[in-house]
Amino acid sequence: MNEYKILFTGTMGAGKSTAINALSETATVNTDVHNSDLSVAKERTTVGLDFGQFTLANGDRIRLFGTPGQARFDFLWKILSKGALGLIILADNSRPDPLADLGVYLDGFSEELDSLPCTIGVGRLDTHPRPSLDDYADLLAAKNRVFPIIGVDVRRKDDVVLLVDTLLSQLESATGGQV
Amino acid sequence: MTTKINLSKAAQDIARNGAEKMLQVTGVTAVVVATVDGFDVASAISGNANAARVAALASSIAAISTVVSDEAELGPSKSVIIDTESGFAIVYSVRRPDAELVINVIANSNAILGQVAYQTAQFARTLGAA
Repeated sequence: MNEYKILFTGTMGAGKSTAINALSETATVNTDVHNSDLSVAKERTTVGLDFGQFTLANGDRIRLFGTPGQARFDFLWKILSKGALGLIILADNSRPDPLADLGVYLDGFSEELDSLPCTIGVGRLDTHPRPSLDDYADLLAAKNRVFPIIGVDVRRKDDVVLLVDTLLSQLESATGGQV
Repeated sequence: MTTKINLSKAAQDIARNGAEKMLQVTGVTAVVVATVDGFDVASAISGNANAARVAALASSIAAISTVVSDEAELGPSKSVIIDTESGFAIVYSVRRPDAELVINVIANSNAILGQVAYQTAQFARTLGAA
């Protein structure tokens, strides 16, 4: 049995904690506290980390970690990305400038992204169709990155599984199936 | 970014005055009172510390210590001390009805841990009751 670590990051309110809660088989660790930032309509926000666990069909275990979204917690981004096998970045299309939001994480994790696979999950596309997934792809291309971009509703476990599967399939193709 | 900090005027004054007073304690170089989500509400700093940065760090430490104390069934976490060769940092949680706060005190090697810990606990009690 192998154990892998996957890190969820992305904008505050994009659903990192929700995704980990949706997928985890064990009680999750959440460090959410009262939110005082009025720019995001949200009662609570993660200021430490989220943690959950999930077992694949082959018995391998995935440890799911989530970062705080706000850049003032970027010291934790570095700590939490240590030993991660891959990164899932969540975007919230209902925000004023979701592409700029994504840019913050592409830059903040640029060192990690040079070697780690990554999948982008875009939320709230149903109510906010712009920017489109193509616009996200253009932003990635401008930063010389090629990552899968998927529209998701992270409240749905299947959508979170899809994000994780997409991430793992990049690893398999990079290692010839030897994950 | 606009923040809404639910803290009475009286409590804000106590936070500010208390931070200034704590900074007079031998060896103390920075005192930052922050919200639990990492925004500084009052600070007194004599060294190079950045209040906004310290506030974010302190809130993470307080939140992580809370999940550890919950997991260990030890009740709510009160404080964390980070002890180093050249000083120490104390992160002290203050639970008020209107706001949860974190006091972060940074001190160099001239400071006496027991004295600063005592003063910090006193400050936290006053701020909690204000």
